[in-house]
Parts: sequence; C-alpha cells; structure tokens
Amino acid sequence: MALSSKTVLPNSPKDNNPKDRQTPTKPSAQSQASIAWQQFKRRKSAVAGGVVLILMYVMAGFAGFLAPYGINEYTRRLPVTQFHPPTRVHWINPETGLPGRPFVYATDAERDPVTRQRVYVEDTSERFPIKFFVRRPDEPYRLFGIWEQDMRLFGVDEPARIFLWGTNNLGKDVFSRVLYGGQVSLTIGILAVWVSLFLGLTFGGIAGFYGGWVDELIMRFIEVLDAIPGLYLLIVLSTLLRDPRNPLARTFGLEMTSAQTFMMIVFVLGFIGWGGLARTIRSILLSVREFDYAQAAKALGASNQRIIAKHLLPATASFVIVSLTLAIPGFILAETGLSFIGLGPSEVDTASWGLLLRDATSRGITIQFVPWLLIPGIPIFLAVLCWNLVGDGLRDAFDPRKRK
Amino acid sequence: MLTYIIRRLLNLIPTFLGATLLAFIISQLVPGDFLNTMRLSPDVRPETIERLERQYGLDQPWFVQYGRWMGSLARGDLGLSFDSNQPVVNLVRRPVQNSMILVVLSIVLLWVVAIPLGVYAATRQYSLGDQVVGVVSYFGLAIPNFFFALLIILMLFNLRGFTREVFGYNELLLPVAKMTSNEFADLSPIGKALDILRHALIPAFVTATAGMAGFTRVLRAQMIEFLSSDFIRTARAKGLGERSVTYKHALRPALIPFIAGIGGLLPALIGGAGLVEIVMAWPGITPILLASISRQDIYVVLGFLVISTLLLMIGNLVSDLLLAAADPRIRYS
Repeated sequence: MALSSKTVLPNSPKDNNPKDRQTPTKPSAQSQASIAWQQFKRRKSAVAGGVVLILMYVMAGFAGFLAPYGINEYTRRLPVTQFHPPTRVHWINPETGLPGRPFVYATDAERDPVTRQRVYVEDTSERFPIKFFVRRPDEPYRLFGIWEQDMRLFGVDEPARIFLWGTNNLGKDVFSRVLYGGQVSLTIGILAVWVSLFLGLTFGGIAGFYGGWVDELIMRFIEVLDAIPGLYLLIVLSTLLRDPRNPLARTFGLEMTSAQTFMMIVFVLGFIGWGGLARTIRSILLSVREFDYAQAAKALGASNQRIIAKHLLPATASFVIVSLTLAIPGFILAETGLSFIGLGPSEVDTASWGLLLRDATSRGITIQFVPWLLIPGIPIFLAVLCWNLVGDGLRDAFDPRKRK
Repeated sequence: MLTYIIRRLLNLIPTFLGATLLAFIISQLVPGDFLNTMRLSPDVRPETIERLERQYGLDQPWFVQYGRWMGSLARGDLGLSFDSNQPVVNLVRRPVQNSMILVVLSIVLLWVVAIPLGVYAATRQYSLGDQVVGVVSYFGLAIPNFFFALLIILMLFNLRGFTREVFGYNELLLPVAKMTSNEFADLSPIGKALDILRHALIPAFVTATAGMAGFTRVLRAQMIEFLSSDFIRTARAKGLGERSVTYKHALRPALIPFIAGIGGLLPALIGGAGLVEIVMAWPGITPILLASISRQDIYVVLGFLVISTLLLMIGNLVSDLLLAAADPRIRYS
C-alpha cells in the first residue's frame, strides 16, 4: 500500500541507458487509488448508490431554489392549509380532453359530515397553471447561505397552493421541508465522521504507537464508553449540553443558537462513535509497526512523528476510508433518531428529516388520515441505503481478493 | 472454565467503575437540580430548601456526592428520586423489565428469521431467491426502525379498513400501542403472558430488522465458505445426504460468529428498541428516561444508566462464555 508513491518514472534523468529507453513509455504501475477507482466503477450497485447520493446532496444544496415554499412558511390567513393532502396536479385540460400544461385547483376546507375529519375540496371554477422560475420577493432565501435569491423553480399563483407531498399540522409544505431537511440530515453524518476520525486517529495512533500504559489507559476508556448503551448516552449528553446553565456553556459564554445546537450534536455523535475506529487503527498499527519498512525507517533515524505520518498512517488509509464511509449511515440514523425524539436541532429554522417524521407522531394524529407525513422517512432510508452501497463497494474495491 | 469466568468477572469491575464515574460526571454538567423550581417559588421558605439540600447532599462537592452515591449503590440502593420521593430502584425496575422483554424477544426473532434465510440463500447461491434475500436485507439494514414502526402501524390500520369493508371485521391484526390490553387485569396468568407477547411482536420485530439483515448476510457468507471446504467434500464423499451436510456439518461452524455477534449487537438492539418504545408507547426505559431528564431527576437518570450498563456488560459476558463453550478453537486458560 505504501509503495504506490515510489514508482520510478521510465524517463527520469538518471536512466539514460539506451536499453532502458526501449521499454514501453506507458507507466506500468498503477497507483492504489486508481486501481480502487477502476474496481469501484465495475460495481453497478455501488455506482448507482453514489449517483443517487450526489443527486440528493445537490438537491439539498439547491433546496431554496427547488422548494416552492420557505422552510417555515405557512399562512394564518384563509384558506387554512393544515393537514392538506398532496395537491393533485392535473395534466389533462378538461375543455379539450387533451394533455396540456399542468395546472392545479385552489382548495377549500370542509368537514366530512360523518367522520368530522377536515377534507379539502377542489374548486374547479378556476385553473392555476404551474409556473416555472417564479420570483417570490416576499419569501427570499440564501443560496449556500450566501447569495440572497428569490427565484423558485416552480410555483402557482395564490390563492391556489401546490403541496406536492401535503402539509403538516401547521400547514407547512412537507416537500419543501424535506428538501431543507436534507441540509441538516445529510451534512451532520459527514461532519460527525470527521470528529470521529480525528479522535480515532489521534487516540488510536497514540495507543498503537506508544503502547504500554498509555495504550492501556486509552483502551480502558473506550471500553468504558462502550459499556454505556449508546442511545442513552446520546440522550443524556444532548439534553444536558443543550441546557444554557451547564458549565461549558457558561465558560465559553455560549447561548445555544440553532447552529450551535447543530455543532453540539455533531460533536456528541462523533464523541460516541470514535471508539471502534480507534481500536481498529491501533490494531493495524501494532502489526504494521513490526513490518520491515517501518523498522527500516526507524533504523535510518526517522523521528516518531515522521514514522507515524509517512509510514504507519498511509498503511491504514484504505481501511479508514472504508470504515468512515460505512460509519456515515450510522450517524445519519443516529441524528434522525435523535431529532425524532425531539433532541436534535431545534424547529426554529432547521428541519431535520427526523423532526419532520416526528410530526406524524404528535398527539391526536391518526396516521391513516395523514399518511403523507411519513414521506420524510423515505429520504432517510435512501441516504442510508446509498451510503451503505457506496461503502460496501469501496470495501470490495480496496480488497485485492475481490478484484474483478 | 471457572477461572476464566472469574477472571472475566474481575475484569468487569474497573470498566463498571469507570462507566459510573463517567455517567456521574456527565450528570453534573448541569448545575441546577430538582430544587430549582422550588427556589423560584415564593411559597417555599429558604430553610426548607436548605434542609432538602442537606438531606440529598446537594451542598457537598461532586466527588463527595459520587462517593455517597457509590456507597449506597454497593448496598443495592440507587438513591431516592427527587421528583416522586420514591426509591429509584422501584421506579427503574418495571421499565427495565419491559425493555428486556423487547430485547430478548427480538434476539429470538433474529435467530428464527436469520438462520433459515441465511441457509436458504447460501444453498441456492445466485438463484432468484438468494438475490431477493440480498436486496431485502440491504433494505432491512437501511430502514430507520422508527420509520419502519410507523409504516407497519399505517399498514395495519389500512388492513383493518379493508377487512371492515369486506368481512365486517373491525379489529387490528396485532395491537400497535402499549404493552397490555384494557382487560389485562382480568386475564389468567397464561392469558397475561400471551397478551404481552401479542403486544411485543411488532416492536420486537421492528427492533430486530437491522440485526436480522446483517446476520442473514454474515451467515450466507459463512455458509458459502464452509460449503466449499474440504471437510464438507469429505462428508459428501462418505455419502451423507445433502440435508445432513448442510445442517450438521456446515451450519454448526457457521453459527459461531452469531454467538459472538449477539454481544456486539446488544447496544444496537437496546438503542433500536428505545426508539420503537417511543413510537409504540411501550413502557420501557427510553420514554421514562426522557421524562426524568426533563425533570432533572438526576438519580433516576443515573439509575437507568447504571442498570442498563450492568445488563449490557452481563450480556457481553454471557455471549463470550457461550462462544468459549461453543467454539473448540477457543481456549480459556
């Protein structure tokens, strides 16, 4: 693995021996990364997972543009929109009976005389065509948190509204909120994995390299962390750290804004997840440390830092990449679960997918009347599935025994 | 074997002490306590608050509190709940039992489902059935269990709507909330057990999905590896039937990672059960833990952490011992 960067180029100045010139100029050695990439490309499910993931991340990035409504936009005016079922998009023009420009009808809320449930009835007197690239100056958004924009991909004129996936108990558009929610749920996993990586590499590296009582201490601490059930630790930490009176918050003068809650969740998730990574890095280092090239570097007088950074860590790289990729779906599940029980980022200006799914369980709701509130579960499922596919593909791609 | 067990038990002690210390330090992150609301109330005299502080040891530094708490823990006493003034042990017992029902039942379900599926997929490698099992287990790994629980609830409600229309049958196929029926108190002991089992089936199944999917895949890979190994060829050459080869010779060694895996799976099962408990109103640990945290009833929170840590460690120990007993390659000296 560590040999990849040391291939000798055929036309380097030293070998001007005519015999060597006749060897083919095409480089015969391939780097580890390019072999892995070639192998990865041959696994269809992994590539498909990767493509879907890229799509999801792009959609979350452009959520403001793709979503017809703002994250917390709802109307207090009539017509009410609470628990509005997904708006029907009509493709057939009723006058001509032919497919035409898609349009929607405005809806009125009525009570079902038997079940007393609120039902929405289409008012077919006026058609509202779906418009593209609509400007909505009253509801601007910031693209990537920087550029203020008011252009939306699509929308309809009031009083009609377009709720592709229905609305929740406050009449907020589920489709828009799922797009915004991706910004939280898709990034938290990736950020938490970096925290985990940092802790795992640092402590796993120290334990594996120095051994002795340092090793013993670190491994004991990981055992202690593992001994407490993760969910309970997650619940307790994220509740207590959120409290503005806790000593950490008071020392640093923090008052948890939603961005800080977000970062707090990232650190808590990363803190709970680093143990396994550290343990495996340590065991790899313990075996690699005895390999000839590490011993040779030591004999040549290389410093400890140099041996760790240049010889030992690269040996763990492929393993680390794979286990990080496979850790991300776990973090996504943990974050959505935490949000689902109401301990994730707050509702004020974020919308994690778990938080959206929580709407389906609030008091007095019978799911069979509002099944569309379960839609936010689908992107969680998709994201986790695709990260798993990509991770499995990477693992096989790095594994020489599974080359195709 | 006995020395191995004793050594393992002794090994648990420092870990357990570390875990309680960590839990206690975390619980001290919030300087406020359950007396906060009383302090703000004009009806409570300052002397009363001082008396309560002394009674609960809240005026002492944290390590003294920890020492006192550990001292009582050693006597099997988890302290008093600030909120309800009851011994924490009494408050914690029922939820822990209820969560255990879910976790144990989901382990049983996991074995019952994963073993036949894994064997089926391995013996018919690359067949349609194998591929279906593969895809379904990928889905099972990816679906968040709180979402899956909600989906099943929705499905059962729709099924009831259907049976009501067609057969006039207006009952849910399986109950989707709580642990007992309304008429639970009138049932016979066997009826009570069956009633709880009926209520536990869906939450336990949902809790077990990810584990089932993972185990099915592991067992399939293991079985495939063993089925192509030398001792299986020998068994076939002796003229053994395929059934005996599969179940007696290949399955047995392939199950060893299962036994070891249960211990590693426990935290995930406990966590998964926690979220399902909330969705399906199962009176387990998590709903009550959440309630006690929001009331800052620190000793109850600590009680849950300590008991669940202890159970998790015992689960791991049992799994290790089973593994040592089942795998002849492992020597416990």
